[in-house]
Amino acid sequence: MAKDMTLLWGSGSPPCWRVMIALEEKGLQGYNSKQLSFEKGEHKGKDVLAINPRGQLPAFKHGNVTLNESYGACIYLEEQFKGQGNKLKPENQAEVALMYQRMFEEQSLFYDRFVPEAERHDSAKQRFTGQLKDEIKIWEGYMQATGPYLAGKNFSLADVIVFPVIAFLFRFGLNEEHFPKLAAYHNTVKDRPSVKNTWPSNWKDTPGMDALKNL
Amino acid sequence: MAQDMTLLWGSGSPPCWRVMIALEEKKLQGYNSRLLSFDKMEHKSQQVLDINPRGQVPSFKHGDIIVNESYAACFYLESRFKSQGAKLIPDGPEEQALMYQRMFEGLSLYDKLGAVIFYDYYVPEGERLESALKRNKETLVTELKLWEGYLEKLGSGSYLAGKAFTMTDVVVFPTVATAFRFGLSAERYPKLGAYHALMKERPSIKASWPPHWLENPKGQDTLKDI
Repeated sequence: MAKDMTLLWGSGSPPCWRVMIALEEKGLQGYNSKQLSFEKGEHKGKDVLAINPRGQLPAFKHGNVTLNESYGACIYLEEQFKGQGNKLKPENQAEVALMYQRMFEEQSLFYDRFVPEAERHDSAKQRFTGQLKDEIKIWEGYMQATGPYLAGKNFSLADVIVFPVIAFLFRFGLNEEHFPKLAAYHNTVKDRPSVKNTWPSNWKDTPGMDALKNL
Repeated sequence: MAQDMTLLWGSGSPPCWRVMIALEEKKLQGYNSRLLSFDKMEHKSQQVLDINPRGQVPSFKHGDIIVNESYAACFYLESRFKSQGAKLIPDGPEEQALMYQRMFEGLSLYDKLGAVIFYDYYVPEGERLESALKRNKETLVTELKLWEGYLEKLGSGSYLAGKAFTMTDVVVFPTVATAFRFGLSAERYPKLGAYHALMKERPSIKASWPPHWLENPKGQDTLKDI
């Protein structure tokens, strides 16, 4: 099963991390794991392009199946391996609905901004920072309203998808005192085996950044 | 069932359209359907905020359950109403995986389309650059060519993720339709053109076609030269 799976990934990439968490949760350790370096441009290398013509990570293969979209891979793993590992889709319909809602709201949180230097505007940076702060406040509100996990009592696909982004925010200096509920969520999920086992290796040895400390 | 559902939506919004197609496909006609006007800023009105604090449409309620993200609503409806209407998620691993792959690639297509046709909406006047819009158009062309390739590989008469209509079509067709509404050339993109022509005839899509597109059949020509 896991031996027929290959994952090409880069350290600290939330989309890659999601798939790794999902594989651990479904008891699929033992997959062929290939770590690549973004800095060295390895994500554009031939072995990635052979699986993912977009030259992006994660690139995931399971026999004849190819899934390079992290959400797609996570949902696929839960569907196809429903009967093993941890259940990532709740039974209760209301929880399922909340799970889906939070999974897709995450898109507002994860800003992917690649703007060439000549086109960067201070006004844009300010606007994005403001939007990010407002967005994080929304999630703090969610964690005030429900818990301990995003869709309620049970760890679910919503956590698989969103936790890596939350971890990133704290890695970039998000202040635990400003966002105590998110900090508590972060500290709870950090200790989960699937998350500990896939924690970005370079984060263990180096300090984080403080770009977000004033948010 | 459907009577316990309410959808607040705006004409021509692909995310709204996705949910409407899903509701049709799952035989949930009869839901409370509320068309709002973007021009009149009705998407920021209290009735929306009561369901969706983000002041965005679609806003969707089913009893006490609220799901406002279009993909989430589609997944929820398929999960909850699996045994009625069209089967939107295939069982076989390969078909399923391709469906998920294309569904999520569809978000890329949507973003890249928006970056061109809604450039002035997203970018404040002081930040607009010819070079940026030009790059966005090139990026969109690359993306569209990818999708042409996907359809070419599947063969004529196919849907986006294979021989059968799936959730990929529910979520991605509105984006494709919007591209053609904004003047995309079916001659330059024949496979997408054929797909568009095929899908336009599907009952769920006819039933949910944007009303203002019916009133004004002529769209814009923003994309005619790309």
